[in-house]
Amino acid sequence: MNERMARLKSKIKEGGFRPFRQTAAIDVLTECEAEQLSWPRRVARLVRRQCESETVVIDPDEKIVFTRTRAGVPGIYTPQEWSRLTEGRTLHELGPISNICADWGLLLSQGLRGRKQVALATRQRLAGDPEAREFLDCAIETIDAVLELAARYAGTAREHGRDDLARILEQVPSGRPRSFHEALQSLRICQAVVWLGGNYHVGLGRFDQYMWPYLEADLAAGRLGMQEAEELLAEFFLSLNKDSDLYPGVQQGDNGQSLTLGGVRRDGSTALNELTRMVLRVARDLAVIDPKINLRISSETDLELLCLATELTRQGLGFPQYSNDEIVIPGLLAHGYDLEDARDYAVAACWEFLIPGRGMEVVNSGAVSFPAAVDQAIRAGLEAKSDFEAILVGVGSNIQAQVQSLADDYSRLLLPPAPYYSIFMHDCLEQGYDLSRGLKYNNLGIHGAGSANAADALAAVQEFVFEVGSVQAQDLLTALDNNFNGQEPLRQKLKEDGPKVGWNDPRADLLLVRLFDDFATACEHYGRNARAGILRPGTGSAMYYLWLASGHEGMREPVVGATADGRMRGEAFSANLAPSPGVRVRGPISVLQSFAKIDYRRVCNGGPITMELSDTVFRDPESIRKVAMLVRTFARLGCQQLQLNSLSLATLLDARAHPEQYKNLIVRVWGWSGYFCELAPEYQEQIMARHYYEMN
Amino acid sequence: MNSGIVFDIREFAVHDGPGIRTTVFLKGCPLACTWCHNPEGQSVEPQVIRSPAGERLAGTVYSAAELAGYLNLQAEILRNAEGGVTFSGGEPLLQTDFVAEVIDLLENIHVVLDTSGYGTEQDFRSLIGRSDLILFDLKLVDRRMHLQYTGCENDPILKNLQVLSASGKPFIIRVPLVPGVTDTDRNLGDIARAVQGLPGLERVDLLPYNRAAGAKYRSIGRDFKPDYDETQPLNINIRIFEQLGIEVRVA
Repeated sequence: MNERMARLKSKIKEGGFRPFRQTAAIDVLTECEAEQLSWPRRVARLVRRQCESETVVIDPDEKIVFTRTRAGVPGIYTPQEWSRLTEGRTLHELGPISNICADWGLLLSQGLRGRKQVALATRQRLAGDPEAREFLDCAIETIDAVLELAARYAGTAREHGRDDLARILEQVPSGRPRSFHEALQSLRICQAVVWLGGNYHVGLGRFDQYMWPYLEADLAAGRLGMQEAEELLAEFFLSLNKDSDLYPGVQQGDNGQSLTLGGVRRDGSTALNELTRMVLRVARDLAVIDPKINLRISSETDLELLCLATELTRQGLGFPQYSNDEIVIPGLLAHGYDLEDARDYAVAACWEFLIPGRGMEVVNSGAVSFPAAVDQAIRAGLEAKSDFEAILVGVGSNIQAQVQSLADDYSRLLLPPAPYYSIFMHDCLEQGYDLSRGLKYNNLGIHGAGSANAADALAAVQEFVFEVGSVQAQDLLTALDNNFNGQEPLRQKLKEDGPKVGWNDPRADLLLVRLFDDFATACEHYGRNARAGILRPGTGSAMYYLWLASGHEGMREPVVGATADGRMRGEAFSANLAPSPGVRVRGPISVLQSFAKIDYRRVCNGGPITMELSDTVFRDPESIRKVAMLVRTFARLGCQQLQLNSLSLATLLDARAHPEQYKNLIVRVWGWSGYFCELAPEYQEQIMARHYYEMN
Repeated sequence: MNSGIVFDIREFAVHDGPGIRTTVFLKGCPLACTWCHNPEGQSVEPQVIRSPAGERLAGTVYSAAELAGYLNLQAEILRNAEGGVTFSGGEPLLQTDFVAEVIDLLENIHVVLDTSGYGTEQDFRSLIGRSDLILFDLKLVDRRMHLQYTGCENDPILKNLQVLSASGKPFIIRVPLVPGVTDTDRNLGDIARAVQGLPGLERVDLLPYNRAAGAKYRSIGRDFKPDYDETQPLNINIRIFEQLGIEVRVA
């Protein structure tokens, strides 16, 4: 990293661009009220005023500009009007459209001026359609606002003697980029304005696909060297971290600025190119939180590429996340996606699969609580003295009831208009309709949370109550009601001796598979949602692994108390696809084998197998290669998605505080490894000191 | 059918041989090295390990078919990942018949034997004959010191080293570097001369001492009392090996 980049990085890390911010929100509401504007026009006005109120910031070190200076997004309705507008309707999260993915290739290949021409032509063609006309007027208003913002940046650049920047900003985002540099600048401004208008979790899609032609042309013409290209890319990535503290999310950093690399193109040929590798290298060297990186792979993916990706994992940021094309694409096909679109998938904020520019999908519309479905069925079944099969039937009905209730709720979904975001979606400008009216795919994704704990609870009941007969139904019911108070031996038995997901043990794994099959059946049974899409079941848990255990404001799912897998009230459930917390496993092979059994063709909303590897397995090239082979094993076993984490100091500290949650945490010392939680405290200190040292 | 006692099984053991490996730790060891980092591997009896993470029993009895059955479920994965199974310990030679039967039941899996070399020649031949690569620990060549620090004579070890080199099997010598004990120029020189020119020798791995060696003792209710000065700087003298044309690595 050269001095300029080092300065920029530390400036961004230290919040050096924040003093330019104006914290007071602008007033858009008054004029909206006075003019009695429609909702789409209010949104367009908001985007326009936000752009107009932006102060131009040009740092001498920057070659790619735009710094957000308006911290907030003002309201466009009074609270009273807002409740009237939304009464009886379901809002997704905060309301504005979020967690979808534009086709940024539309921006680059046509420029905003090109998109405006499309809008004008459609407006003429649909002159008799007031709704279409209004939408197109709104889209055009926002395009003009962004062009004006870019022009102000260009003007200021000239005043500062930055003719280099001015030339770029006079070309983009208005026109088509003439270079990689211009393409990055165009994307920077246009993506930032989506955030500025109140939409969030703004994905970056298949970055190495839509960006590559510009880099390729520059490299071929000798206009740009690899090193300069990497520097520009690094600067673009840094720019994504400038305003990220302003983005809404469950936690800082949970902002959905994900990009997707690799895989296949729409025609099925390999999508890998030099930019794929460059993104991995630059992300590895920068080690910043944005963008989050997803890599599409298959069982045939080059080990060298996986080694490079592993070097990124080593940075401890929790990405790249891997998606297996051989499983994801057939899964999307089975859910009604066209082949070309299925091949074109990108990954949304967390793990959900989306078709850029073609999906107005609400991929995280809620979660099925497997622990609740299983717990209710176990209690009801044991009280009624049913057999085990009857309990399983009860689980299926409970899952179906949860899916029904969630989907009914989302049949009242209200999506606010998003004229600006619509510019980057296929057919909106061409056919004159807002993104909120729907795109080619309008499916609802539902997470499936707490699956391992739920399967373990069923397995324990099957094993101890029905097969071995060592636990009496009534004793178990009493123990669950009392949170195992005074029943520690029973709890230990359930917790330690029952078959567990993650052991590659069919007694637990088949129950896990059945849970997801029941979930898929329930979604298929529901049929079309109100927006003419289907329900997509998934394997993710998002934050529900905590919420289902301890409750959260506004949550529809019930809090689940003590469970039959020996988990006590309040303890977290398994996150995404992982063994239940505190379950001792032999290692990643058995875990992958357990989760490979799920029928992912039926469960295609995404949700990764989550694994943490000690950073000591990343120390030398030979070990890096072994991790890469583990990733390949994941693909060869037919698993769908994988998130690998390198162990960090933060994890070690957490392990000290909650050792019962970290029984599998292995650290390597000398020529051997040990379970971290079993080491004497002073040795733990020493290991932590070492980790800390390495991180700095 | 033989059965044996195992104190742990770990998948994705990246430091126990080539490729992705699953390592089986056999319980029980004839040596009692004062720097032993796996004290739960010394006794052949099951032992309770107590820690803030809870209690667990180290020491599970498996039949050969049970253990081989579990390993065979991974055979294809391990083969595809250029790896296999490693038998470590404790000391596998202490359960030779069991280990031999497990290996015979494996479905075409690469086998690494990680051994101290302490055992009868017959047992040693039985296991190296069934293994593809041997990780052979060599600690001290001086007989008196070996007895002092491990509680055993090293004659069987040095004898088995000759058996190994005559067998033609590839092997790696592993030397734990313990300050003031095994890391002296004299001992390293003795080791270098003992292995120089042996057919099958791939290289020597030096494993530098780490002060976490004693970390596990408390969890099995023992005190760690090293009879050497842990704080002394290590003598990692690779030149002694290089001078004799021996490939050496510091792990």
